[in-house]
Formats: sequence, structure tokens, C-alpha cells
Amino acid sequence: MDFKIIPSVCSYCGTGCGVLFQVMDGRLVDTLPMKTHPVNEGKLCIKGWNLHEHVVSDKRLTSPMLKKNGHLQEASWDDAIQTTVEKLKAIIEAHGPDSVGVLASAKITNEENYLVQKFARAVIGTNNVDHCARL
Amino acid sequence: MQEQIREWLEQEKVDIFLGYKKIQGHPLPHCFTKDNLDETDDLIVGNARYSLEKMATKIAAEHPELKIGLLVRDCNQRALNVLYVWNQLRPDNIETISVNCCPSKLKEHGDCSYLEPEKAAPLKMMIGIDNNMDVEAAEEFGQEDRYKRWMYEFQKCLKCYGCRDICPVCFCKECSLEHTDLIATGSVPPEIPIFHLVRAVHMGGRCIDCGLCEDACPVDISLRLLYRKVNDIVSDVFDYKTGTSADQSPFNMLGEEVTLELKPI
Repeated sequence: MDFKIIPSVCSYCGTGCGVLFQVMDGRLVDTLPMKTHPVNEGKLCIKGWNLHEHVVSDKRLTSPMLKKNGHLQEASWDDAIQTTVEKLKAIIEAHGPDSVGVLASAKITNEENYLVQKFARAVIGTNNVDHCARL
Repeated sequence: MQEQIREWLEQEKVDIFLGYKKIQGHPLPHCFTKDNLDETDDLIVGNARYSLEKMATKIAAEHPELKIGLLVRDCNQRALNVLYVWNQLRPDNIETISVNCCPSKLKEHGDCSYLEPEKAAPLKMMIGIDNNMDVEAAEEFGQEDRYKRWMYEFQKCLKCYGCRDICPVCFCKECSLEHTDLIATGSVPPEIPIFHLVRAVHMGGRCIDCGLCEDACPVDISLRLLYRKVNDIVSDVFDYKTGTSADQSPFNMLGEEVTLELKPI
């Protein structure tokens, strides 16, 4: 029997609520709000309360998906990146860099988000960068 | 206290002990085990309350034979009594160490985050229900005024289910609050007042007045007061004081015969 309480920060939006993960026998089983956290003071929204669910969800994507013949199919990273590059290049050539927008994520690190905007500005050449957690 | 818990773990009186430990500056619930005995020196009471008994319920569901020790305040003890009544925990498998708690005339000092409840803001005092009110004071409002005030509280609801998720005595596998035939989905606030009243009815004979629901509510709905009223009715009708003992509840139809009798209202 192994039961742990692990403090963390909610990964959903930019607020940064303190959460506690309950881990039983190596399995993430529940989320609790951190009572003493200065941001959320023991409160959470419905997404925060259910943080543990997306970690163990069956619906979670575990590999890249490519649409072939109108259906999403599992693909290798090489195929996925190659296809994206080709399509992006074609779009930029036809309609200019501002026809592309980049949406960053709350689920990746600060540094990775920095790279995302760098990619948008320096590689693609657009300022169309936004973030799913820009409240 | 630390020594006693160390002894319990060493002598295998308990397999695990749920208490608190300071981690990253926060007093957090922590599971102490025999494998890490020295950790017991770091055990604290902490000023933040968590429902350790809810964690124990989850652990016991997967490991029914495990002996669990708990640090309990008065509210935790009341919750344990209700969980015994409803067969969620077995009293033989639970050992408790009581700590100082909610202040009263008998106890001046208490280690509880509820020592100084926040004062309600002027708007809430004017058009809502003050969380610090007692049932009698809330009933002094005229019927129409009272209805408006409660509806003002309910319409703030974000439907986060925090009140249910944190509740130590909410253990049902299927929850009426998620039943689409009972409560319509797709909008916030949820259907009011039915959403809150369904939960209030289910709290009759269950709620142990710990106030964790109100503590977890992002919009400060006066939930504790609402459930107090429901339990007052239970007390009037069945003469049953929820959480005061591990004896049969008038709502528990399973098992032994119900001995409590209906009192005329």
C-alpha cells in the first residue's frame, strides 16, 4: 500500500491554482485544492477538480494523428512533422505568413512556450501567437 | 503525539497513519508508514483542515483489511461516525488521535482554519445570506425576501461540484447532481434552486457541519447554513443528531431494524 499526496499547480489556465494530487499504489486517483495556497485558498473550478482525469483518460492522444481519406489515423512523428512542414510552406507561399496563427498551450513549460512564439515570429514570420490560457 | 504514532506504526497497531507534514512551506496531509519511521518527527497538526477520513475511505475501498490511523479534529470524528453508520469504514480498522479543535466555551484554543470566519461583504449582507448567520436569524427574513436572498446565493453557482467533491460524507458511486434526468446540463448557473436543494436533501442525516463545502465554494454560497437547517429538521422529526454516534441512522434502511421513531411535527 502506497499513498502519497503531491502538491502541484493546476495546468489548465494561467491562474495557477495550487492542487494536491492523491496517488494510490502509483496511480493518480484524485485531485484536491490546496487550502493554504495564496492563489486559490482552497477553492477550484470544475476543471481543476478533475485534473486527474485527463492523465488517465482513454481519450488521451498518445501518438500524432494524420487525416488520411477523411479519417484521422495514427502516424509516426516523422510523418506528422513532414506533412505539417509541407502544408505550412504551401500556405505561407500562397497567402503570406500572416495567414498562419500559432496557438500555444498551458500544458507545456514556460521554455517550450517561449520556443513556440519564437517559431511563430522567427520561422513563420507572423505575430499571430496566442495561448489557450490567456484569460 | 509523534512518539505515540511511531509506536503504533512499529507495533503494527496501524499500517498507515494519516496526519499532516509541512511540505514546501504548506501544511499538507501526509501518509506516515512503517517504512519511513523517522518521518513521524515531522508530524504536525497544521492549521489547515483536510478531510483525512475521505482519504481513508478511498484507501479502505481498495485495501479493506488495512489498519488506518488518523489525526482527528471534532469534525473528522463526526464524519468518521457517519462513515461507520453507512459502512464505508470499519471501526475496528480505524485508530484515531484527537487534537484540539473548534473553539467553544469549553475550549478556548483550537487549531482550525475556521477560528475566524471571514466577514461578509456589504452587498452580500444586503441582498444575500451572510455565511455567519445562524438558522434562526436567517428565518427572520420574510418569505419573499428569504427566497430572493437564497436565489441570489444560488445564481452565483459555477457548478464546480466542489461542495460534493470535498464532502467527507459524500461517497455515492452515482450522484444525483450528475443525473441528466434530474438536473439539466449545459448552462451555468445550474438549474436553481433544484441543484442546491437536491444536495441539501441528501445532506439530511449525513451532514456533520464541518463547513468544508463552504470553504471550497469559489462563490461563498452559505451552504453550511442550508445544511444546518436540513439537519435541524432531521433532529426535530427523528430526534437524530448526525455524527454524534456510530449508531444506526433513521435513514439507513439496510441491516438491522430502525429503532428510531417518527415524532409528530
